[in-house]
Amino acid sequence: MSSDFSSVDKLANAMTFHRERHAVLAGNVANLDTPGYRPYDITQHEAAGGGLEMTTTEGVAHMTAGGGEPGAAYAKEFDDGGAQGGPDGNAVSMERELAKIDANRTRYATAAELVSRRMAMIKYAAGDGSGG
Amino acid sequence: MSTDFFTAMEVSASGLSAQRTRMNVAASNLANAETTQAAGGGPYKRRDVVLATTDLDPNGDANVKGVKVSQIQQDASPPRLEYDPGHPQANAQGYVAYPNINPVEEMVDMITASRAYEAGITTMSSAVNMAEKALSIGK
Repeated sequence: MSSDFSSVDKLANAMTFHRERHAVLAGNVANLDTPGYRPYDITQHEAAGGGLEMTTTEGVAHMTAGGGEPGAAYAKEFDDGGAQGGPDGNAVSMERELAKIDANRTRYATAAELVSRRMAMIKYAAGDGSGG
Repeated sequence: MSTDFFTAMEVSASGLSAQRTRMNVAASNLANAETTQAAGGGPYKRRDVVLATTDLDPNGDANVKGVKVSQIQQDASPPRLEYDPGHPQANAQGYVAYPNINPVEEMVDMITASRAYEAGITTMSSAVNMAEKALSIGK
C-alpha cells in the first residue's frame, strides 16, 4: 500500500532525473563544435523499473502499485552511440540534441503538472471534500 | 550526482560564450582580410578558435561538460602573394603578401557559430522554462 505522497515522491524523482538530463544535454549542445567530443545521455537505471514514464504513470494511475522506493531516479550515463561522427570526430547532432531537450522539457513539465494536481487532490481530501 | 538548473545554465552559457568568441574571431579575420601590415610585421595571420570540453559541475559530475576556448591559434598557412610593384609593402620581386584569409570560409564559420549560438539560447530557455514549471507547483 502506498501513501498518497509516494506518487508525489516518484514524480519528484522523475523531475530530478529530467533536470539532470537537461544539464547533460545542454553540455552536448555547448560542445557542438568541440573536436572529438562524443555526446552523452543519461537514462534511468533498470532497477528503477525501466522507462521513467511507466514508473511515474503507474504510480499515479494505480495507487496500490507501490514498489519504487524514493530515490529511485537513479541514472547512468552512456556515450550516445546513435550519432554519426563528423570529420573532426565530433558526433553531436544539433537537431537530435534539441529534439531530446524539447522532449525532456515536456516530460519535466508533465511531471510538474502532475505533482500540482496530485497535491490539489490531497488538499481536497484533507479539507474534507470542501475544496480545501 | 546532482545538478541544479544553474549548472545547466552555466553549461549553456559556456557554449554561448565560446560561440561568441568564434564570431568575434571570424569578424576579425574578415576585417583584416586585406591587412598587409600587422603587429610584429608581415601580413595579418588568420586566427582560429580551438574549443575544448571543460568540467563545470561543482559536484564533479563527469557527464556535465561545458566548453571553453582553449586557445586562439594563428593559421600557419602561407600568405597569398599578389603582384603589385607599386605597393609600399611589395617585396624585391614586386609581390605583396596578403593575409591567408578566404572570406567565404569566414562567412561559413560565422553562420555555423551563429546557429550554434541559437541552439545554446534554445537550450537555456528550456532550462528557464523547466525551472518556471517547478516554481509553479502548488499555485
